[in-house]
Amino acid sequence: MTPILSVRDLSIDYRTRRGPVHAVRDVSFDIEKGETVAIIGESGSGKTTLAVSFIRLSPRSARITKGQILYTNDRETVDIQTLPDDELRQYRWSECAMVFQAALNSFNPVINIWEQFADTARAHGMKDSAKIHARAQELLDLVHLDPDRILKAYPHELSGGMKQRVLIALSLLLEPQLIILDEPTTALDILTQRSIIDLLGQLRKKLGFSLIFISHDLSIAAELADRMITMYAGTIVERASVTDLFYRPRHPYSVGLLRAVPRVSGAMGSVASIPGSPPDLIRLPSGCTYVPRCPLAIAACAEREPDLVPVDTPNHEARCIRWKTVAEQVGTAEVAVAEKIATA
Amino acid sequence: MSVADSTVAGRAVIELDHVSRAFKVPGGTITAVDGVSLAIGAGEALCIVGESGCGKTTTGRMLAGILHPTSGRLLYEGEDVWRKKGNELSTFRRAVQLVHQDPYASLNPTRTIFQTLSAPLYRHKKAKGNRDATNRVRHLLDVVGLTPPDDFLGKYPHQLSGGQRQRVAIARALTVDPRVIVADEAVSMVDVSIRISLLNLLLGLRSEMGVSIVLITHDLAVARYFAREGRIGVMYLGRMVELGHSEALVSDPAHPYSAALIAAIPEADPRITRSKERVALKTAEVPSLLALPPGCTFHPRCPLAEPGLCDVQIPELLPLPADTPREVACHVAIRERRPAAELLA
Ligand SMILES: Nc1ncnc2c1ncn2[C@@H]1O[C@H](COP(=O)(O)OP(=O)(O)OP(=O)(O)O)[C@@H](O)[C@H]1O
Ligand SMILES: Nc1ncnc2c1ncn2[C@@H]1O[C@H](COP(=O)(O)OP(=O)(O)OP(=O)(O)O)[C@@H](O)[C@H]1O
Ligand SMILES: [Mg+2]
Ligand SMILES: [Mg+2]
Repeated sequence: MTPILSVRDLSIDYRTRRGPVHAVRDVSFDIEKGETVAIIGESGSGKTTLAVSFIRLSPRSARITKGQILYTNDRETVDIQTLPDDELRQYRWSECAMVFQAALNSFNPVINIWEQFADTARAHGMKDSAKIHARAQELLDLVHLDPDRILKAYPHELSGGMKQRVLIALSLLLEPQLIILDEPTTALDILTQRSIIDLLGQLRKKLGFSLIFISHDLSIAAELADRMITMYAGTIVERASVTDLFYRPRHPYSVGLLRAVPRVSGAMGSVASIPGSPPDLIRLPSGCTYVPRCPLAIAACAEREPDLVPVDTPNHEARCIRWKTVAEQVGTAEVAVAEKIATA
Repeated sequence: MSVADSTVAGRAVIELDHVSRAFKVPGGTITAVDGVSLAIGAGEALCIVGESGCGKTTTGRMLAGILHPTSGRLLYEGEDVWRKKGNELSTFRRAVQLVHQDPYASLNPTRTIFQTLSAPLYRHKKAKGNRDATNRVRHLLDVVGLTPPDDFLGKYPHQLSGGQRQRVAIARALTVDPRVIVADEAVSMVDVSIRISLLNLLLGLRSEMGVSIVLITHDLAVARYFAREGRIGVMYLGRMVELGHSEALVSDPAHPYSAALIAAIPEADPRITRSKERVALKTAEVPSLLALPPGCTFHPRCPLAEPGLCDVQIPELLPLPADTPREVACHVAIRERRPAAELLA
């Protein structure tokens, strides 16, 4: 089957006074229909830059220097970059909807929730107010909110969790096939976060859309994702199924990220932070960009940036020439990495 | 034995004794913190957890003597802080330092790191002259891992990352050789690796300098990691509902609210997180502080609540007989002499 989204060799720079910031470099991946993919990585690794390019909403200073973003629905395959403006407007929301990072503050504060729905719907050619209203009610129901009360409310009258649900409902308005969530539960309370996670799980089953979500929070990825992508310094360093990434990571950076998350259940294991900081994206080093922070780096690592190569299985790839050494350390058992390292 | 056992009242460095704090808000008065008692032992690592608005920051500010309680006492080495004057009060102020939740807001943007850190050194006569101050500031930057220190002396806050700013805030707290640091973790601190490195820095200060650390966080996994040798306190709507040794609290929560929180947390382990048992609450609705339910404020959501008991009497924080010492404010757990986690299973 053709993937719903196919990203090919994508590179994105930001123009700045100091020179171009290479925020996304040679990123390729496919999203299948109905699949959930989590993109993880530290602050500044290029996750948001990548995601906003899928709906062509990058800031002015951003420039795609290379590559393609192809979107396929039942009828055709389109190249997002060359989509004419009117088709682009159609594509946003009705094919692909995004809930932005820090979007909780992006509501227009002076209009109520009903007007937020109505504005979005009208901008996409839905003219019949009664129909829009019925749809808004149906969607708010779906996200477990009381439609009558919420539609009349202004953003400041809603809690963080309620706003997040409204945003999810809004993103579903035009029945998109692909939804992108950037940090969907950051800054929400545990019980609220739990209800959003459960909600996303239910909606995905019910509606069958594909989901890309970006999160610092690995535990949400562990819960929802089918596949995982680890980004470092603008590029994909590992790509794997959720179980392979959590139990059998093969890139030292993925191992580092996993070890930095304490857990509530089970043994604590050896929790540790990753020393150092990511490289300057303007003056990237010539070899593997993780070398200065990598406990396994050898001289050869600094010579040239490694390719993303299959490890263990064809569906699991890592950009590391030392992956076999990682494999020896981490093994294959279905046990969290921090625990394995503690007992190694 | 463990650090937790050093916290018998007599040996506490600071202690909140039945402390409450009310605020006037539109629509009435809320009790943001209600009758909280908490003793911090020397060198202890303690975490306060709970959902947004439960009163963690307010409790932290009262511990640090920045906010006056409406009722109850703050004790430093057994003496009432708010009755102290002049010198004694300033001794307390130095001894307990609050590290602000939001380093963006708490560092003066027009001052260099050197200026930010040297000012309190001069003010408290911990440095004589520029040379001495520079050496001390260099040392502090080294302690908080901002190395090489000379790279940071002349920088302004906006030239630092969020994690580096947090380190400066910790260094500033250290200028006065505190005995207790109250660190209020920013909810916006999302980068896992930076978070862990800051927690490790604080834990290092504790083991190397014997500083007690109270960490305020909304993340129970972080609390468990941080207080693995200490205690966790769980707050709900202004009250402390459970206080106990961290491993026991996390593996076998005594209060139904703690049990619900722990069951709801997603885990960074696909197998565990996808098979976790949940605690079903009666409602997701959190009562308003302006209209708190009578009795135990958790009763409208609690699966263990008993009419005629939980909706009538406010439960006190009482010791639950168990291998590891802990206290819980739950009528049912206390009566059954078993943690809620077992009663819910
Ligand atoms: N408008 C811009 N101009 C210049 N550089 C930018 C701009 N936006 C982002 N960058 C840089 O591009 C890189 C990638 O940023 P991006 O926001 O995509 O990261 P991210 O992975 O989403 O981070 P976070 O987890 O903090 O949201 C960073 O180094 C960032 O500083
Ligand atoms: N100065 C104030 N005036 C009025 N109300 C206040 C004041 N400070 C705090 N409150 C209220 O007291 C309650 C407890 O607030 P507090 O900041 O202690 O919560 P918290 O547990 O730290 O929350 P968070 O996790 O969101 O930081 C909240 O309802 C808050 O709105
Ligand atoms: Mg981002
Ligand atoms: Mg707070």
